[in-house]
Amino acid sequence: MLEEIRDEGAATGERYVLNMGPQHPSMHGVLRLRLELIGEEIQEAEAVIGYAHRAHEKMAENRTWPMFLPNTSRVDYLSGMIYNLAYCQAVEKMLEIEVPERAEYIRIIAGELNRISSHLLWLGTYVMDIGGLTPFLYAWDDREQVLNILERITGSRLTYSYGRFGGLTMDVDDVFIKQTQVFLERMKGRLVEYDKLVRQNVIFIKRSEGVGIIDAETCRRYGVTGPNLRAAGVAYDVRKDEPYGIYDRFDFEVPTLTTADSLARYDIRIREIEESLKIVGQALRDLPEGPIMPDKPKKKFKPAAGETYFAVEAARGHFGMYLVSDGSETPFKIKLRTPSFSNLAAMPEVLRKTMVADIIAIVGSIDIVLPEIDR
Amino acid sequence: MSGTAPGLDGLLLTSAAEDHGKSGFHHRHTCAPESLLAIARAFDAAGYFLEMMTAEDRRADLDKMRLVYTWNRFGPVDRHLLQCDLEVGASAPSVVAATAAADWMEREVYDMYGVTFDGHPDLKRILLPDDSDFHALLKDFGRMEDAEGASGNGHGEDA
Repeated sequence: MLEEIRDEGAATGERYVLNMGPQHPSMHGVLRLRLELIGEEIQEAEAVIGYAHRAHEKMAENRTWPMFLPNTSRVDYLSGMIYNLAYCQAVEKMLEIEVPERAEYIRIIAGELNRISSHLLWLGTYVMDIGGLTPFLYAWDDREQVLNILERITGSRLTYSYGRFGGLTMDVDDVFIKQTQVFLERMKGRLVEYDKLVRQNVIFIKRSEGVGIIDAETCRRYGVTGPNLRAAGVAYDVRKDEPYGIYDRFDFEVPTLTTADSLARYDIRIREIEESLKIVGQALRDLPEGPIMPDKPKKKFKPAAGETYFAVEAARGHFGMYLVSDGSETPFKIKLRTPSFSNLAAMPEVLRKTMVADIIAIVGSIDIVLPEIDR
Repeated sequence: MSGTAPGLDGLLLTSAAEDHGKSGFHHRHTCAPESLLAIARAFDAAGYFLEMMTAEDRRADLDKMRLVYTWNRFGPVDRHLLQCDLEVGASAPSVVAATAAADWMEREVYDMYGVTFDGHPDLKRILLPDDSDFHALLKDFGRMEDAEGASGNGHGEDA
């Protein structure tokens, strides 16, 4: 870093290079931003990634289809449940496996609880990054409730492997239902608190309002999806536009805003928590009795040769799986199309001509999870 | 969903409708490498976004490297699968000029498969270390059966 500054900065007299990360405390994982600056204004920003590359796609080609299951939640450990269930659903689509009704409902509940916990983690860390330390403690407390609920039914707190091809590993009981209902009630009050604690805080508004504009056209050119896209006025949500599982049975909205700034992305995620709470409430109300696995689950199989694409709405946007079978027990290829990869790809353009002090208020607002980008 | 692909007349080798409920694609196309940029421009002009791009190492069965693109809309969903087979060792035209999303995606394909893209503004590795001397997703790299002490049951990590 120092050498680069000496070399380039000394030569021009004013344009210099500053490395931010890869171990900056607000980089959430390991992202390095290589910034070219004049004064405190960013001329060029380059995102250097790959520090958390674990070769998940390579691992997929070296094991059987079922053996890849535990990898999935590690790709994005903050929406691990959604990723894990997405892989199950992708394989079910490829093999045309029927899923029992009860399992479908439980998947909805588990997936939406996971989305809420992911949004809460983002909320706490983002507000902390731009100077508000207290809300982090509240968000962490709420998220802890979700982790406890999911730990009880899955055995894991973060990297769930709850899905199986055709259903789930474990059923839920009355305690789970009661705990989840208590959480829904609790969150209604907490969202009012967040509104007072965060959203009405002048410093928070001043730091996030009007910075980091990612308009709808920029989103399209880079493939930006999820809350970042919806904050730019585009109501694209895989749960609505390409419904999977039983999402088409639920009454929920896809919130959008048009200001496309960091503050809008905060507002969108809060409203998405509200919508997720609605979905969970409906799923608990309608949860049928019955089995959670098919009579004869498929444990060893050779999918017919060919390609399958399956997409879900993860906490950060469109997560797609491109599965290629060559007719053997081992995947020929599994491509993981992760939302944060495309979301971060737009950052160099968005950061151009902004100020150093705004970097965290912008980059943090898109909710990056580096292990999901690096895979 | 939609009947025909947008503005792709004369650019494709083959084109067929797909059952989205079965495969996840609405359309399946193949093309020659020299058509890639024109196809990308046509999708971009029709308001589509480059949803995913990757490659497949098909040297064993086809003696080719295959590029794979999926184009889609932010609704109503209309997913086009585009496959483009390359001669082994040949480079492909970059589509970054048509869509910015291809920048990082082409870098990843180069990183993992060694395919180079003519016209890419800054083609370099993205996930693997800059000084790597391999392309990790080629089929002859990192096979479990080649690992010393591998038991052959796929549990190769402790090898």
